[in-house]
Amino acid sequence: MPIYEQTYRRYEARAPLRTVRFWPITREALRLVLARRAFLGLLLVAWGQFLFRVIQVYVVTRLPEAGRVLPIDGRMFGQFLSIQTLFTLLLSIFGGAGLIANDLRTGAILVYLSRPLTRRDYVLGKLGVLMALNLSVTLVPGLLLYLIALALAPEQFAKWSLAWISPAVVVHSLVTSLVMSLIALAVSSLSRSARVAGLGFFGLVFGLEVVRGVLRALYDRPESALLSVQADLQSLGNALFGVTDRAFQLPWAYPALVLVAVSLGCLAILRARVRAVEIVR
Amino acid sequence: MSASPSPPPSTAGRDLGRPVPFLHAARAVFDLSLEGMVWSRRSLLMVLLLGLPAPLALLFRTFLTRLPPRVGAFDFYGVVISFYYVRNALPLAALFYATALIADEVEGRTITYLLTRPVQRAAILAGKFAAYLVTTVALALPAVVVTFFLLTTIHGRTGLGALVPELFRDMGVVVLTLVTYGAFFALMGVLLRRPVIPGLLFLFVWELLANAPGYLPRFTITAYLRSLIHHRPPDEGMAEIFAQVLPTALCLEAVGGMIVVFLAGAAWIFSAREYVLDQ
Amino acid sequence: MTAAAIKARGAAAGAATLEYVRASRWYGAVIALNDVTTTVGPGVTGLLGPNGAGKSTFLKLAAGQLAPSQGEVRVLGKPAWGSPELFHRVGVCPESDAFWEGLTGMQFLMALLSLTGFDEAQCRRRAEAALEQVALSDARDRKIGGYSKGMRQRIKLAQALAHDPQVLLLDEPLSGMDPVNRRRVVDLVKRLGREGRTVLVSSHILHEVEAMTRRVLLIHNGRILAEGDVREIRDLMDEHPHTVALRARDPRALARAIVGTPHVLSLVFGAEGEWVTVQTARPDEFYASVHQAAVEAGVSEMYSPDENLESVFRYLVAR
Repeated sequence: MPIYEQTYRRYEARAPLRTVRFWPITREALRLVLARRAFLGLLLVAWGQFLFRVIQVYVVTRLPEAGRVLPIDGRMFGQFLSIQTLFTLLLSIFGGAGLIANDLRTGAILVYLSRPLTRRDYVLGKLGVLMALNLSVTLVPGLLLYLIALALAPEQFAKWSLAWISPAVVVHSLVTSLVMSLIALAVSSLSRSARVAGLGFFGLVFGLEVVRGVLRALYDRPESALLSVQADLQSLGNALFGVTDRAFQLPWAYPALVLVAVSLGCLAILRARVRAVEIVR
Repeated sequence: MSASPSPPPSTAGRDLGRPVPFLHAARAVFDLSLEGMVWSRRSLLMVLLLGLPAPLALLFRTFLTRLPPRVGAFDFYGVVISFYYVRNALPLAALFYATALIADEVEGRTITYLLTRPVQRAAILAGKFAAYLVTTVALALPAVVVTFFLLTTIHGRTGLGALVPELFRDMGVVVLTLVTYGAFFALMGVLLRRPVIPGLLFLFVWELLANAPGYLPRFTITAYLRSLIHHRPPDEGMAEIFAQVLPTALCLEAVGGMIVVFLAGAAWIFSAREYVLDQ
Repeated sequence: MTAAAIKARGAAAGAATLEYVRASRWYGAVIALNDVTTTVGPGVTGLLGPNGAGKSTFLKLAAGQLAPSQGEVRVLGKPAWGSPELFHRVGVCPESDAFWEGLTGMQFLMALLSLTGFDEAQCRRRAEAALEQVALSDARDRKIGGYSKGMRQRIKLAQALAHDPQVLLLDEPLSGMDPVNRRRVVDLVKRLGREGRTVLVSSHILHEVEAMTRRVLLIHNGRILAEGDVREIRDLMDEHPHTVALRARDPRALARAIVGTPHVLSLVFGAEGEWVTVQTARPDEFYASVHQAAVEAGVSEMYSPDENLESVFRYLVAR
């Protein structure tokens, strides 16, 4: 019987790559974030307004007179999502500030990029975490509120004139979540400290809002709203939900352009910063 | 490796039975920390945050005729000092730097080098606090001065002499704001593992009590600080309804007391705490 | 250092430098160090144990970074915790690879020397001397962020040595070093021990510690397994048979001569045919009795493969 040499044999087979390669990054990061009790508390608080609005809808369907004070229409959803934007800010700090910063500090980014992952997969994976968190306090409660309103007051909501509300909720939620997530990730990639990144993100968003306040006090011109990301999102929301606000009288195209520019800027930062190796001179 | 040259006598003028003198140790920590604080990416953000009023003042001045403002130049300066700096930018800057005085070293795992030197821990905290103060004051004060002169010399230098004491007063309040909030956030930084969210809640929820009636404003920091600002902007919104101007002496005593208590508390907690770095 | 200074240092430090008296340390429900009583004196002592044994906790208690949950830990007669003045005479080389990356090697050392109370001229002199000791003089003006792993380890060692401390606590000092620098550091540590300093070296790599010292402290599960000279520990392990390997011109004749002696427990011939490996319960008696047979059988080489730290440690841990 011949005895065969047990030498190295080259592996010829093809192992197909996953299509959705970034999903494990998102899944594991979400698992870590959701394991923190304080974070779950924040999520709970973020859903507080949803409860209030459900009660509002219920009360108005039972007492139509109350609808004069608290009307149930597109504006209610606009206000609802506008307040939820504040929670996306807090969630982005809490859950997103360290997403890339910690990887840069610990060198874990090398571990990621030594797998069959591209930088795009890495960024998508991290973006997925923030999108999931932000959508959980905007899109999910927004659509749920709409369905509850439809169920409680079908005669009011099952009309073509209000059918635009649900797509408006989807669009506004997606835009808000995407913009906040991109800014949070970009700022996270600029630092090696989650704390610095979190405060930097807050300072940027809030600081621009303060500047807008100052300019508004000075000139009272609607163009000052373009400076602030929060104001741009508010303008877009007003346009989507038909809200008239003296402070936001610009055509929606301008805030939309600003948001697109901000998003592209963030992507450019991520492209420059997400690298396996940093050269120290 | 060659044999070491014979070193000078070990004591070399030091008292081996005592820690290094407080001021010498604090100075050494200050020198070590200052460069890292000033020449860092986070300081770029602070330059933007604290320096922003200067280009806004330039904008005001440049477009004065083409874009008539709703408020006068000096009133705008009042808005910048009381609304922008004292109520928002300076407390944010303090939160940014002061919560991280020790936490940065722990996160970077360099705390071991500091804690294995013959220095009192309070001296380490003092040196870091001094570095924070110098950095933020160096970023804020020039912007305040530039903003002042850009806004008050629009129509020439007439009356400038009468306004300069206001500038000095406001500069003093800016420094006091940085010291007071810095001391508070330094305490939060050593007390809490994650001080950022509680710090933000304190600044944007608790400090709103300053606009409440009765004795409630006295439980905030901002009520004392904004009472020290002489000029009041014409429209303060909600604050205008209940706005209290506390006596200057009371404000200075309260602020002084807060600084001492917060810093002493931070030093005590830092001295008693163990820092175990996960390997 | 002059011979007189070395002698004076040794005499002054004659008594125990580090003392642990029923010292325990726990983190919540986890006991990291359990009722340890021991002393460490001048010379090099190896602190050995597997990961999680309690070595870092033991070292951190001595370095004053942790307070004992129970008992006492004293360094140079003073409690380690809460006595910052001790660090005039204690140098610590931590395990973690962490620095202020923007500083150069020289700036790093000078900053820490300034914190130790030296004036600028002394800081510069001492920093230069320490850099020379660890062969980093050429890289003194390069940022630590650009150092290799070995260089980072050496600059860490330099900061522990720069102020000429009497006590050195070194946590994994050879980690990341290439063989040439490893040899240099081992020689440096041995020299420091000969100078009368108390050097406690923590490591889980046994042959590294063996190269530096024969005096060891073995820790496992938070308790001290054994302490003292490796050979003495070995000799005290009566139950565990000693292995002796002999290389002979006529191994079978040697085997015939020694197999009948009562303290030979087993005998194995080596694959190459020249070696005989013997297990004996009483090594001293064996060595005495094997002499004549060894001469007649032409024994050219004899050694004990388990008279080393690894076998001692494995045996003690497995007990």
